[in-house]
Amino acid sequence: MESAAPLLAGLAPDFPLQHAGRVVTDTAQFMDIGYGDVIRVGGRHYLVLRDEAERRFGLEDPKFWVKRCRCLENGERRILKLEFFEEFPVRIGTFEAHCYRSPQKESRILEMVKGDPRFMQGETCTDEAGHNVRVLEVVQGRRLDTFIEDLPVDHETYFREHFPAVLDKYLGACEALRFLHERGEKHGDVRRDHIFVEYQGGGWRWIDFDYAFDFHENPFGLDLFGLGNILVFLTAKGTPTPLDMPAEVVAGLSPADMSIVFGNRLVNLRKLHPYIPVELNRVLLHFSAGSEVFYDSVEELTGDLRACRALL
Amino acid sequence: MNEKRILVAFDGSDNALRAVDYVGRVLGAAPGFQVRLLYVERLPERDFFATEAAWKEACETQAAGVRQALARAEAALKAAGLPPDSVGSEYLPSCRSPQNQAPSCSLGTSIARDVVRVMVEGGYGTVVIGRRGVSKAEEFLFGSVSTKVMHLAKDCAVWVVA
Repeated sequence: MESAAPLLAGLAPDFPLQHAGRVVTDTAQFMDIGYGDVIRVGGRHYLVLRDEAERRFGLEDPKFWVKRCRCLENGERRILKLEFFEEFPVRIGTFEAHCYRSPQKESRILEMVKGDPRFMQGETCTDEAGHNVRVLEVVQGRRLDTFIEDLPVDHETYFREHFPAVLDKYLGACEALRFLHERGEKHGDVRRDHIFVEYQGGGWRWIDFDYAFDFHENPFGLDLFGLGNILVFLTAKGTPTPLDMPAEVVAGLSPADMSIVFGNRLVNLRKLHPYIPVELNRVLLHFSAGSEVFYDSVEELTGDLRACRALL
Repeated sequence: MNEKRILVAFDGSDNALRAVDYVGRVLGAAPGFQVRLLYVERLPERDFFATEAAWKEACETQAAGVRQALARAEAALKAAGLPPDSVGSEYLPSCRSPQNQAPSCSLGTSIARDVVRVMVEGGYGTVVIGRRGVSKAEEFLFGSVSTKVMHLAKDCAVWVVA
């Protein structure tokens, strides 16, 4: 196999050549591709720096098929997602759904949202063995959840001073998903850490669209569920559970006040923060165990929220 | 509306078979009824398959299985006493089906909406549907055809067989 050393000596003179690996043209064995290897795809060369990882519950969860890279031709950082077909159960509260990681789904959506600042950007290339390689631009920003949690203000100040602008951004993120739904696509993994807040301009961008689900009657239900969770998080500036609430608030809670899926998460936030308008709280309650009516579409959710926005 | 024109939503599941069985037992040899089984095609999710060929094969296998199930359900209704010319079935293909050449197809966004559309267009006065019996949380996440049919249907009777 071709050594990457000559290439690196010419295009990345700062790279320590003792770490030079191979030039990879077939990305099937992605576990074997690591630091110092160079992936050649789409007429360019990408120096692999490390595997990407997700931090969840304080643990690093490595994603061996996702490589943090530097393009040798222009020096720009890129993320390369390599072809990985994975079928696995996803736990949603007490339920389990069947999920499939689909490179072609993400490629389709990347093409669909090309140039749209509400989504991560990238292009799909094919390696010499015919495998899908998504070359993604790195979003220069912070995860939405840490961005919100780290705002150095108490809840009431946050709600009165920051939340109206946050809600505007959230409505924009909802519209972005509506754009996908209207074209028959789902995001598939709507979570608060799958939105990045850009350092420049503060725009919100959705990332990671490769989860596919097979829900017949409610094809967009999981996306709506994710949007509900994010809305509750944004309104609460966190995820309130009985363990971190005053005893007098806990004493007044019933199961109907909690999330329909996660029984320990408070959704009826007015019981904790009484200054939240009734109208907004009513929207939140659609995601509570006490609800009898659910949102069928992003349009329904945003329609109700826009009416609330005027009251903030 | 003609309440003697009966549309049975059918997906081959045990719940749908219970609904078929119920219709057979209730109507038996009673005269004047027209019963049509309706299957709204839901293709296997394309993204679950690495290749187009594997997906098409899965689509064909599923379609063949459903057509057999429809034929068995029709036979069960006739065996219950319904006159042979009063029982029929319709396979509404998905608009994305590789085999679809039918003039009418399902967009794939809601089975319930397709059922209600066929009901209205066909002048059916009664819709029969089996129900899984899902929890509220499951209904929220995964949807419920029977609940949505009950919400959407107008000027007709809806029989829910649980």
